[in-house]
Amino acid sequence: MKSCRADIGTGGRSDRSFGLRLLDLAESVRAGLFPARFSVWTPYLYLLPATLITGILAIGLAEMAETSLHVLNRATFRPDPAYTLANYAAVLSKPVYLRIMLKTGFAALLVTGFTLLLAFPYAYFLVRTPHARLRRFLLVALFLPFLLGQVIRAYGWLIVLGKQGLLNAALAAIGLGPVSLIYTYGGVVLGLVQYMLPFAVLLLAPALTAIPHEVELASHGLGATPWRTFRHIVLPLARPGLVAAGVVVFTLTVTDFAMPEIMGGGANDFIANAIYDAFFQLSDAGMGAALGIVLTLFASLIVALAFLLVGVATLGHGAQQDAGAGR
Amino acid sequence: MRRTAPYLRLPRRRFLSGAAAVVAAPYVLRLPRATAQEKPAEIIVRAWGGVWEEALKTGVSDPFTEMTGIPVRHDLTEDNEIRPKIWAAVDQGRVPPIHVNWDTTTNATKSALRGVTEDLGDLPNLEGLLPLAKPAGLEGWPLVNVYSYAYVLAYSEKAFPEGAPESWNAMLDPAFRKRVAMYDDGIGLFAPAQVAGGGRFEDIPDNMEPCWEFFRKLKANEPLLGEDPDFTNWFQNDEIDLACTIISNAREAKQNGIAVSWTVPKEGATLDTDALWIPKGLPENELYWAKQYVNFALSAEAQQAWCNALGLPPVRPGLEPPADLVGDIAYPASEADLDRFLRIPTPVLVEHESSWFERVNEIMQG
Repeated sequence: MKSCRADIGTGGRSDRSFGLRLLDLAESVRAGLFPARFSVWTPYLYLLPATLITGILAIGLAEMAETSLHVLNRATFRPDPAYTLANYAAVLSKPVYLRIMLKTGFAALLVTGFTLLLAFPYAYFLVRTPHARLRRFLLVALFLPFLLGQVIRAYGWLIVLGKQGLLNAALAAIGLGPVSLIYTYGGVVLGLVQYMLPFAVLLLAPALTAIPHEVELASHGLGATPWRTFRHIVLPLARPGLVAAGVVVFTLTVTDFAMPEIMGGGANDFIANAIYDAFFQLSDAGMGAALGIVLTLFASLIVALAFLLVGVATLGHGAQQDAGAGR
Repeated sequence: MRRTAPYLRLPRRRFLSGAAAVVAAPYVLRLPRATAQEKPAEIIVRAWGGVWEEALKTGVSDPFTEMTGIPVRHDLTEDNEIRPKIWAAVDQGRVPPIHVNWDTTTNATKSALRGVTEDLGDLPNLEGLLPLAKPAGLEGWPLVNVYSYAYVLAYSEKAFPEGAPESWNAMLDPAFRKRVAMYDDGIGLFAPAQVAGGGRFEDIPDNMEPCWEFFRKLKANEPLLGEDPDFTNWFQNDEIDLACTIISNAREAKQNGIAVSWTVPKEGATLDTDALWIPKGLPENELYWAKQYVNFALSAEAQQAWCNALGLPPVRPGLEPPADLVGDIAYPASEADLDRFLRIPTPVLVEHESSWFERVNEIMQG
């Protein structure tokens, strides 16, 4: 028995030492490839994959910028070799493009506002409810439409809100006339709000989870009304989530194609639809590229403004909260 | 009891008909036997969906497969989306994504001007076609027009119990606010809009202000803007009462049991053509069989079945029109009948259509 244990013990030591030797070997290989004096570069190595991906995008963007500097020769349907800013001049001078940009920007603001208004209470109940079943229900209700995809959901809206859809059937049952909600600007905004809701809830939930419930209880204990607690405790502490959700919803809306295409009835285009038309309907890659560059600049400018107003550091606030809660 | 494996069960009658088809194929297709090439795994033809694909399948693709044994796959990529892909493939020396493009004549002409189309001048079945088949403003046969079609004024019979509307101006009637439809780029409506707007057809493209005024008034009626399949759906779902659309879409809706009819109003209707063309860059044997597909599509047999299914007049003369369209005002039965339609020359469309699309977009997005 003793010898058996000794055998086992010896075998275990042998396995461990083999494992350690492997680790030593790996460590020496690592040290050979990446000596300790280079360790100052380690954080930058972690950034490498993201930098590479962004770099590839930047190359594509540079290519698009180059394309945007050529007008279409309608005799050969090839880009004219001469460099010109004519496409940008057309984008900025033609009223149709300005109108489309304004429509897109305003819709993005509306969608962001409505989505945050709806997502905040949803996320709050999701993380605060003590009932596991309710939380599961809220999660399923959130993810079910999320899994359907944008095009399917847009067609779902057409069925629900169409002339012979569920809504009009219900209105007819109570003696009210049919209403026309699809193929309108409002219809596009409605479809987008529903599409963006899961994104916003998912971004808000971690920020709300990071707010210790005890803080709210303490506020309540000190005599604050629920509104004051929400206004002075929950809302400021949820700011990182609100900013992240707002930026994501805004940028996804401003670049959206499918919802205005399907729900807009052709007269409520966003910039992405104008880009599509330029590339595919007009065969004018230069104009499409110029619109693409303008859209990129427009979206980047808005996001930069948002960060300027609330501060980039806000997004790191949640992590500090997490660490604080952990301690 | 012994059962023959399914793949070995070959009834005598089917064997004989199959063998006859293989032997007859070169004669029906009029292929030069000595130059017959190795058969590709499939022929890919870009097509429009719905009634359009069904008509191509029954009229051309299935008979071609029966005759040659080459399966035909329809690629339903939107015509506007496949074009840049083909252009890029040809420019980069890659094999293009399709063998045959079924396209509007205007778009096909743009591809021909770009130099990405194969010449079809050696196809035997070009012989005897109507002059309409020949591409305008181009050397040789970089494409071939395969039928003509009218953009009619389709209307819900329920909304017009006393008969067809007489003028395109019916689309401007406030009674039909939000219940009129047109193509999202305005195609098919430019010429009638010009005349209905008080202008002259001959003034296209130099003075089209009456046309744009018509579109501005139409915008006030909040039209729905869509593509081919939308019109059938909109009539079916009672979303619209009036639409400027190709006769095939209105006919499909009618054949689906929807109370829809169509007319050519007093101002006339646009007549246009669709074409087939083959992109450059195909391997030699695939090019050969792609050409045979186009050649077969021009045969009397294919033209009869394909165009009758679409309800459109073919470019091969002397064929029987579909029974339901005999005497129909929107179905030109002879070359003389073509004159009553508004036909904007293809070179004018190629040069100006893009800017007209932009103009319509500008008005409709306002």
